[in-house]
Order: sequence, then C-alpha cells, then structure tokens
Amino acid sequence: MHQAPAVARVIPPRRRKRVAVVGTLAVFATIALAACGSSSTSTAGSGSSGSSGGEPWAGAKTVGFIMVGEESDQGYNQAVYEASQQVKKDLGVNTLLAANVPETQQVTTVMQQMVDAGAKIIFATSFGYQQYAYAFAKSHPDVLILHQGGTYTGGKFPPNLGTYFGEAYDPVAMGGMAAGAVTKTNKLGFVYAFPIPQTVDNVDAFELGAQKIDPKAVTYTVATSEWCDPLKQKTAATALLSAGSDVLTQHQDCQSTVIEAAKAAGAYVVGYHFNASDLYPSGWLTGSVWNWAPLYESIIKTAQAGKFTGSQYNANFIGTFASGNNPLTLAPFGPAVPASVQPKILAEEAKLKAGGTIFTGPIYCNNGKVLVAAGQVATPAQINQFTCFVKGVVAAS
Amino acid sequence: MSQTAPIGEPPRATGESAASFAARLAARIDPADVTRRLTSASGWRRLLVALGAYAACLALFSFVVWTQGASPTGVYSSIYHSAITDPGSIAQIFERAVPFVLAALAVTVPARAGLVNVGGEGQLIIGAIAATWVALYLVGPGVPAPLALVLMGVGAMMAGALWAGLAAFLRVTMNANEAVTTLLMNFVANDILLYLLYQPWKDPTGTGQPESMPFGANATLPQVFGNLGVVVALAVAAIVVLVLTKTGWGFALRVVGGNQEAARRAGLPVKRLLVSSMAAGGSLAGLGGMLYLAGTQTQLLPGATATFGYTAFLASFLGRNQPVKVIFAAILFAAIAISAPGLQLVYGLDGNVVDILLALVVVAPLALSGSRRSAY
Amino acid sequence: MNGIEQALTTGIEGGTVILFPALGELIGERSGVVNLGTEGCMLAGALGAYAVGATTGSAWIGVLGGLAAGAVLGLAHAWMVVRRRADQLASGLVLWFLAVGITSVLGTSFVSRTVAPLPVVRLPGLGSIPWLGTILFDHDPLVYVSYALVPVVWWVLFRTRVGLVLRATGERPEVVAVAGRRPDLVQLAAVTLGGALGGLGGAQLSVGYVDNWFDNMTNGYGFIAVAVVLFAAWRPLWVLVGSYMFGVALAAASVLQAHNISVNQYLLDSLPYLVTLVALIVFARRGGARTPEGLARALNNTT
Repeated sequence: MHQAPAVARVIPPRRRKRVAVVGTLAVFATIALAACGSSSTSTAGSGSSGSSGGEPWAGAKTVGFIMVGEESDQGYNQAVYEASQQVKKDLGVNTLLAANVPETQQVTTVMQQMVDAGAKIIFATSFGYQQYAYAFAKSHPDVLILHQGGTYTGGKFPPNLGTYFGEAYDPVAMGGMAAGAVTKTNKLGFVYAFPIPQTVDNVDAFELGAQKIDPKAVTYTVATSEWCDPLKQKTAATALLSAGSDVLTQHQDCQSTVIEAAKAAGAYVVGYHFNASDLYPSGWLTGSVWNWAPLYESIIKTAQAGKFTGSQYNANFIGTFASGNNPLTLAPFGPAVPASVQPKILAEEAKLKAGGTIFTGPIYCNNGKVLVAAGQVATPAQINQFTCFVKGVVAAS
Repeated sequence: MSQTAPIGEPPRATGESAASFAARLAARIDPADVTRRLTSASGWRRLLVALGAYAACLALFSFVVWTQGASPTGVYSSIYHSAITDPGSIAQIFERAVPFVLAALAVTVPARAGLVNVGGEGQLIIGAIAATWVALYLVGPGVPAPLALVLMGVGAMMAGALWAGLAAFLRVTMNANEAVTTLLMNFVANDILLYLLYQPWKDPTGTGQPESMPFGANATLPQVFGNLGVVVALAVAAIVVLVLTKTGWGFALRVVGGNQEAARRAGLPVKRLLVSSMAAGGSLAGLGGMLYLAGTQTQLLPGATATFGYTAFLASFLGRNQPVKVIFAAILFAAIAISAPGLQLVYGLDGNVVDILLALVVVAPLALSGSRRSAY
Repeated sequence: MNGIEQALTTGIEGGTVILFPALGELIGERSGVVNLGTEGCMLAGALGAYAVGATTGSAWIGVLGGLAAGAVLGLAHAWMVVRRRADQLASGLVLWFLAVGITSVLGTSFVSRTVAPLPVVRLPGLGSIPWLGTILFDHDPLVYVSYALVPVVWWVLFRTRVGLVLRATGERPEVVAVAGRRPDLVQLAAVTLGGALGGLGGAQLSVGYVDNWFDNMTNGYGFIAVAVVLFAAWRPLWVLVGSYMFGVALAAASVLQAHNISVNQYLLDSLPYLVTLVALIVFARRGGARTPEGLARALNNTT
C-alpha cells in the first residue's frame, strides 16, 4: 500500500458529486444574486412608429453593425468599424457593435439582442449573413435590415430590407495598373481564400488592369482555403515570391502578413480593404480601401426621414464610380509608383467615373472561353457571377 | 441503524425500478446520521473548499471582465437574463443544446470503454453532410416530411458511426491513439465540407457562395415544443442513459473501460466493444449535426457548428462522463454560449470572453477532483 | 530557387513552428503527462512574443516573453494534473479554451502594432553549400536553435541521469518515489518546460516567421505537434522528421499552386493532416510498445 502524498488524499466520489452539484448551484446563485443586485439590461419595447414618415424606423437613434471578424483586423471589418465611428460622430446616433459574429444562426441572436437594446436599423456587414438577414427582415417588419454584399433574389423587396455593395473590382484594376507599371519580372502574385465570384472579379480586374500598362504581365495565384491564417498566408506569399512575383496583393480578411512578406523580400504590395501603407511605406503601391461612411450615412439619413421604402436603397444597390458613390476608393499612391504612370491611372479612374468598367469586351477566360464578348460591357449582375479567371491569370479555371 | 449500502449509491444495473430504489433509499436514511454528515467538520470544510474554488474562478472571470472595462455584475446579470428570464433566449439555448448534448454524449459513450473521442467537431459535420445528401440527392423535396427527416437522421447516424468507427478501428488494429486520430479527422471533415460546398454541391442558382441548394420544406424540422429537434435530442439522450446503465452492452463497456485485460479474460469481445462504443458515439454526434441543420438552417453552410465539438468535450468532462450530468453540463454550456453575443453587444466585450468563462467553469471541478487511481 | 527547394525551405520554417512544441510535448509525455493544451501554450507564446516585442521594440525580448507565457500555461496544466490529479486530457483542453479567450481579448490592441521580425541569418560557410545551404542554413536564428535542440534533448534524455529520472517517472513514478526522488516535481518541471517550448514555437510563428499577430493564429497546429510526438514514438529525431513532414506538406500546397500544378485546393488543404494521419497509423503499430507506461495509464483512464 503506497503512502499517498497529502495532496492526493482525494475527495471521495460521493463528496465529489455533491461538491460538483453544489458548485454549479453556487455559480448560478452568484449570477442570480448579481442579477438581483444590479439593473437589468435595457429592454426597449418593439416600438410603434409614432413619427412623421410612417416608417417604423423614422427618426431612429440607434443603429447596429454586425461584423464577421475582428474590428481591428486592418482589413474588411476594421473598415466597417471605422465607418461606424464616423457615422456616430457625424450623425450623433448611438451605435451598437458586434464583432466576430460567425455566419451562422448566431447572427439572428445578435440581431434580436440589438433590437432589444433599441436598434431600429441594423447593418449586417458580411455576405454569409444573407439568409439570416432576409429571414429576420421578414419576421421583424418594424426593423430596417441592410445587408452588405448580398443580392436579394426573392422577388419583390420587403419594405424593410436593402442590400448594398460597391464595385470592388474597379479600384482593384487600378491597383493592377500600378502593379503592372512597377513589376520588373512581369509576374504578379495574388493570395486568396476561395474562388467566390467577388474574388474571381478581383483577380481578373487586377490582371486586366496590369495588362493595360504591361501587356506581358501575368498573375500567379495561391488559394489558402482560409480567410486569415497567417502561417498559410506567409507560405503562399513566399511561394509566389520565389516563383518570381515582385508585386503581391490579396483578397483576405487580414492583410498584414502578406504585406510583411513582401517587405521582407523587397517586393511591392497592393493593399485591399484598408490603407495599411504605414506597415510598408516604401513598397506600398496603392490599394482599394473601403470608405463606407458616406454610404452608411446616406442610407441612415434616408431611413430617418422615413423615405426608405421605395428608395434606391430598398433594392440591390451597387455604388458605382459612375454614380459617384462607390464605397471602395483608391488609396493614395505610394512613393514607388512612378510619377509618369499616375496620370494614366487617374485617367482610367475618370473613365470609370464616366460609366465604364474594366470588364469591357473582348475578354477571354484562360481556358479559351469568351467571358465578355467584343463590344459588350458586363453589367454588375453579370460580373457578380463570374467564375473563370481571365487570360494571363495562372490558375485553374 | 446500520447501513449496508451507502446513501446515494446509484441504482444497481439489475433493472431496479425507480420506486424501489427510492424506497430502499428512504429505508436507509437515518435523520440523525444525515444531520451529522451535513454538519460534520470535514463535510463543511470540503463544501467550503468547493465553494472557494468556484468563487476563485468567478473572481478571475470578473477580473478579466473588469480589465476590459465592463462591469462584472452587469455581465453576470446579462448571462442570467439570457439564460433564465428571456424566453427568446431560452428557446435558442435549447436549440444550441441539441448539438451540444448529443456531441457531449458522443464523448461519454466511448469514454465508458476507455476511449477518448475528440472528434465531435468532425462527426457533427459528417452528420450534416450525410443529412444534406439524403435531403437533396437521395429523396428530394417530393418525399413527405416525416419520412425524409427520418431518413436524414438515419443517414446522419450511419455516417457519424462510420467516421468515428474508423478511428476506433485504427486503434484496435494499428494501435493508433484515437484521441489524436479523431482530432486530425476533424480537419479532414471540414475540408470535405468546404470541397462539397465550393464544388459539386454549390447551389447552381445561388450567388456563387459556398452553400448547398436550399432544402425543401420536407427537410426542415417542424416547430413542436419550440423545435422538434430538442424533443428528439432529449429523447435520444434518455435512451443513451438507459442503454449505458441498464443494458448488458453498457455494462460490458464499463468493464472494458475499467480493465481491458480483465475484460478480455472474462471472455468479452473487447475489440468489438471498443469499435461499437466509438461508432455509437459518432452516430450520436452525427444525429446532432443533422438535427441542428434541419432545425435551424435552410441549407448546408460552412462553419455552422464550429467549436461545438470541443465545447461539448468540455461539457462531458464537467459531467464526469456520467450521462445525466453530461446532459445538464451541455445545457449549461449552451446557456453560456448563447449569452455571448449579448455580452459583446451591451458591454463591448470581445466575443471570446465567453470561452474564458466556459473554461473556468470546468477548471473549478477539475482542480477539486482527482482520479481514483493515484499513481504513486 | 525551384519549387522543390522552395517547398523544403518553407517546410523547415513552418516545420520549426511545430518542432518546438513537439519537443516540449515529448519531454512532458516522457514524464507521463500529455498536454492537449500545447495549442494554448503556442497561442500564448505567439501573443506574448508579439506583445512584448512590440512594446520593447526587440523581437528577442519578445521571444523571452513568449517562452514565459508558454511556461505559465504549462505550469498551470502541470499543477492541475500533478497536484490536483485532474484528468490530463480535459485539463489540457480547458487550458486551450482559456488561452484562446485570453489571447483574443488581450491581443486586440496588438493586431495593428508592428514588430521588426527576427533577422534572417545566412550562416557563413554552411550557407554557401549549393542547394542544401539555402534550404537548411538561411533562416532566422530560432530555426538554428531548433537544430541544436533536437540532439540536446536526445542526449539529455538518453545519456544523462536527469533524463533517466525523467523517463523513469513516465514509466513507473512509484518506483522513482521509492528511490527517493520526487516524481511530482519531475513532472511539474517537465510539463512546464514543455509549455515553455510550446511558447517558443508560438514565438517563432509570430515574430520569427509571419511577423504578425492575429486572433487564434495557431489554427490547430499545436494539436499537430501532439500528433507528431505520437507518430515519432517519443523519439526526438523522429519528432524532427514528423514536424518537417507536416511543414513541407503545408508548403507544398502553396508551391504547387504557384507553379500552376493543378491540384484540388481542398485536397491540398487537408494534405498535411492526411499525411500526419497516415504516418501515425503506419508508425503507431511499432510505437505502441514504446509508450511510457505512466502515460499509457493516463491516456487510457478517462473516468
């Protein structure tokens, strides 16, 4: 019989059971006592409209923003976050923020809790919230739901729903032009997660833009199957760099790793989502950055005035350069972009503002098929369904 | 009054009825003895130690919350509100408890036989995949709902059983540690899901995003008592409890889990028992994946059940791998998980703060208890 | 350099991220304690290294911070298992959850900070060897540390008294106790050291290789380290092989794509895990006999 150390004099089984039960009760008791002792969370009633416009959200003072990732990700979600703070400052509304909300049923919970806390307008800012946002709009006709990035295909729009996005691919094309201007190897590298249409659009636009300046430019791609896994991003970036790319860009949720990888190799980088030029000032060419605040404010003001239903926002709204309200803008040029090229790029931007798009035919897929016929101009709806990579992109189509 | 069996001993696995157990219990209670136990010095001391451990963990969580600029009492009040008093939340808690309970039992059943199943994550996914296949490609929307749902459930259970059973098979034939193989298979299951949703199963009429075709109305669980899935899950859980405690198979699993060599000498088919315990666990998790899918989603999407499996593993530990307690632990964890968005919203806390609370809730009993076998 | 060279080079850099925690886990498991919370130690180390590095401006001080953070978590696991006799697997997973939560909360303010990464040092002489020189001797210093660590761990484990006591604790702690040693202290030290090495792996990831911090950035690689130790049957050289195998498989996914070799993206993504699984299955048969007895008892007794 071993002499058990003092500390191993374990609590016998029966006691343990009692202890566990008591312990769990203790946890709940503490919570209950705390609940009794403090004020409960506010429960705003689901309001009646009582306001000039007749729309339930007219005069709304509380707006919710739901983000799929970190609000400090130096990327997509940070753009939303900063816009929300800008909105708060400019319009004086109360903003409720929820970050890291996965694209699952949880978002319904979050929306409900936002409504309970008084929100009458909710921006669901990730594509994957689609089905939950539309279902919530249907079941809560007194709350205005805006879905970022989605396309509502269910027929007539409910009066309290709107989707919105921008022409992401056009500024990406201009970034491609800058890349084409500086590349010495004629090889560009693109890191992305999955070949969803938005990504395909971006890769294609990047390559087409590069070809405008450097017809021999080729874009190599690596798919990481993750939206933000730094190890995989770094591995992808180094593979692209060693295969000869000297300009990197990406469609990921976070971009610092790719920027750092380019920096370490002395390559150039074109950013996305967010202006991270201070990470690598000498190598940052330009980037496509979201500037959501003007669009958010326009939508909110329309809603507050009770004029949302039937407005341009009560639809699948795409902000375009042509209409002057593309929420994605071109970041300032970095020092590496030659002065001679900048006017060309800005001229292209002017063309886009006049109504053009980079996807003007003839454009061919890299497997030979025709993507946009000669003389045709692809519509945003068509562009959002692209699945093939264009000629010049090194990837399986 | 003497006692030949200690108070509180669980019913023997002899088919004793609850009534007779209660009678036996009552006959043995000596009020003086009970009072002595409750007030004895060592009894109080142990209780205090237990409360102390829980208090320490709560204090730690409160500290973390406070460093984030939120009020601990407000946070607890929010959790309480969402768990106890908000009917909308309570419905969601039970919905979330469906995969949690089943995935936690998926850990408990093999644990009886001494196997460690960390593959709940993957088994939930595989169950959802199988259910989708049945709903969209095997039966289609024309088949009436009850039949479609039953077939989905059966398919999910079979798929989960195979997925987990594979790990057990590798354990008994190649001695590959099942904790690690089930863990690795979680990653593989996720990649299979992504492949299916981005390629062959991608909704051709959709928007190019990774989603399956929407299910027909026949593949959605009806809203009965909230969500039929809750009823099914609880019924299945009850069956699991009965099977584990009352059947020969359940008893054999315990023997194997206690001492494999002794079980072998006693003539029990150890390998078959090991594989069947794991397969049973996998089928439970698979069913959980199907019920969650059919109860809360309208199509198969990536990441719908992310982290559920690992949380359920913790719950099964909190419940000391005893089925009834595991079920309650899973429901508790579901309550804490549902409260997370509210914490973030109202108190500006990072969503992952709730992970800390979940971990701490388990740390306390972990630190209090110990295995019966002391190594030295 | 060509694709194969690139895959091997990147494979070593990525593999080192796995090698450190795997060596740490080897030490801990040799003493009879399995730490599923290695993933948590890595995360803590990654954030610790990045945060300390960003605050002090030196990646090397950051590495020390990462070591410390991993050690703290390792010590917590050791205390729970050795002193409180908690279930080893549950304790590890619980600490992983804790680490995910805490690093996520504490790390938000560091996502946008920058740290100058560990410098890449091409070893003079050795680095000029054609082909092998670039693959093996052109990395950040932590990689070189890991090269040295493998034989050191082997030597200490198998050629010194300390190692003997450690291994004996993993086999028969009661015998060690009777011999007058303190197996509980041995286990405490071993697991804490294991946690520190896990933290070092995280440091290599955040300030050595990717130069970034992001929520949950270790993404399950700590669990791979545990798998590698099992595949290696607790032998340091095989731990090296397993870690690099995983790293190369991970790198291959990117290199194949960058060279336009068309392989299904999802198959590539699961390749590292499949490779580890297959290796585990193939080698586990032989390794079963080598399981330290104390560890076997811990892994088999879950209730």
